[in-house]
Amino acid sequence: MARTLSSPGNGVKERDKKLLLAATRRSFTIIVYALLIALAFSMIFPYLWMLANSFKSRTDFFTNPYSVIPMPPTLSTYYDALTIGRMGVYLGNSILYAAAVLVVQLFIDSLAAYSFARVEFPGRETLFLAVLATLMLPGSVTLIPTFLIAHGLGLTNTFTGVVLPGFAGAFGIFLLRQFFLNIPRELEDAARIDGSGFFGTYWRIMLPLAKPAMVTLGVFIFLNEWSSFVWPLIILSDWKKYPVTVGIALFRDVNQINWPAVFAGSTIVSFPIIILFIIAQEYIIGGISLSGLKG
Amino acid sequence: MTTLAQPSQPLQSRASRNRELWRRLRKTWPGYLFISPAGLLITVFSYVAIIFSLYISFHQYDIISEARPFEGLENYARALNDKLVRISFRNTFVYVAVIVPSITVISLLLAVLGNQVRRGRALFRTVFFIPTITPIVVTSMLWVWLYEPTGGINRLLQMINIEGPNWLFDPSTALPAIMIMTIWGAVGYYMIIFLAGLAEIPEVFYEAAKVDGAGRWHTFWKITIPLLRNSLIFAFVTLTIAAFQVFTQAFIMTQGGPMNSTQTVQMVVYHYAFQRFQMGYASAISWLLFGVIFFFSALQLKLFMSRELY
Repeated sequence: MARTLSSPGNGVKERDKKLLLAATRRSFTIIVYALLIALAFSMIFPYLWMLANSFKSRTDFFTNPYSVIPMPPTLSTYYDALTIGRMGVYLGNSILYAAAVLVVQLFIDSLAAYSFARVEFPGRETLFLAVLATLMLPGSVTLIPTFLIAHGLGLTNTFTGVVLPGFAGAFGIFLLRQFFLNIPRELEDAARIDGSGFFGTYWRIMLPLAKPAMVTLGVFIFLNEWSSFVWPLIILSDWKKYPVTVGIALFRDVNQINWPAVFAGSTIVSFPIIILFIIAQEYIIGGISLSGLKG
Repeated sequence: MTTLAQPSQPLQSRASRNRELWRRLRKTWPGYLFISPAGLLITVFSYVAIIFSLYISFHQYDIISEARPFEGLENYARALNDKLVRISFRNTFVYVAVIVPSITVISLLLAVLGNQVRRGRALFRTVFFIPTITPIVVTSMLWVWLYEPTGGINRLLQMINIEGPNWLFDPSTALPAIMIMTIWGAVGYYMIIFLAGLAEIPEVFYEAAKVDGAGRWHTFWKITIPLLRNSLIFAFVTLTIAAFQVFTQAFIMTQGGPMNSTQTVQMVVYHYAFQRFQMGYASAISWLLFGVIFFFSALQLKLFMSRELY
């Protein structure tokens, strides 16, 4: 575009040329905005409908399933989702699973990452490579044996069974190790001179410094655990222990007719993490960018 | 990525080397201690698991009966002749062949477009990313409703005078319906990866191109694409690996139907392992899938890496 404009015939004045260029640039910007807005709309319209329908009575839903404003809005759908749909129980379970995995994995990953970054011991590189290599393993292959191992340990249908395989993560170790490597060694040496041991240095000096990376990883762990579906589906058999993902799928299966309540349930499942995302998006995007570039 | 700054070892006398060794040994044990919780978990749930998986794929193995006879390659031979397995591999190949390029191209386009605008860039980024963080179970259920015969999608099509199909109940449209939903849900994630890649490209290149009078199209192909190489490779390879293992969408939206048109390999693995309890056979199928994934990842890396470096 610009090239054809910058090599016109001799008669065109410089001023006209500039005006024409500005006009093309402006129309280009308008087209870009129009495209982006259209695409952005296609991204959120299912959510708008989900939200609107979750406040509709069943009669309103069946007569106007595509209206965006519920007439009149009702909260009985949420009541149904929490009572018939047992979303309250599932929500409590999901919070428990996500919190447990979050705390334990952050501790275990950061401890290992600190060790890989700063403590020298024979075989360190080999062991770190062995950790990284597991990132290449498709979950498809490890699913069945992980179930059989959990079964062998008597962990089927238990809280521990749901969370245990998530207590350590190769990605988390990798991410935190990168961060620890970039912390100046002098800070650590000062602590060492003051008489801190390895654990003391890790706990009092390194962990507080690694806060940004810990938050990024923490958000990832939480989102992952919240969305996790296949593993809890396999390991659990008692609905009282289901997380929200398995719970909402079950609710839809047994309650096909009550779509508004299913939408209310879906809203309950997805809104906590959408809000978490909006609050923590700088951390998430930073983390994804990092994994994309370094991976 | 994995190179560590190793302090160089100067030449030392034997005595001081011994002393050094002692000192290091005293210093090394916390290293092992600190990695041991992670090491134990990763050993059990990755290394033991994968060896165990390979082992049971050669056996007739379920969790109920005690008898678990060795069968050699029997499970693998059975899988190659199993009609369901064949259909699932065919569907999965089609799925991968469509969604991997589609997601790469669309998310690249989104990133490049998003980079052009100044105002509202962060808002667009947030909106495009929301489907990525919503649990796939929830987005799948939303789309089941959108795909109903008189659902949201067909209503939109009606506006442009197209009679929409019964998406999820027609064998010819069920898999495409799942693909569309998956593309919708994934482009935001890869857009972020490409935006990060674009941010790494020095402004100087674009200024130089402008001075040379290169147009937008030319600049895109000659500067943006080559310099995004690493992000493109990352997106392509990770997408391929993930796409081959597609499960939840099909499980929620169609349960593999209609007429097995949305059976994916992972659906079949799940079916044999957890509905018919043929763990050995299911493991063999998962190893076939692993083989396919490994082959394609290696092929992609080889193709990308052999290209001329910029």
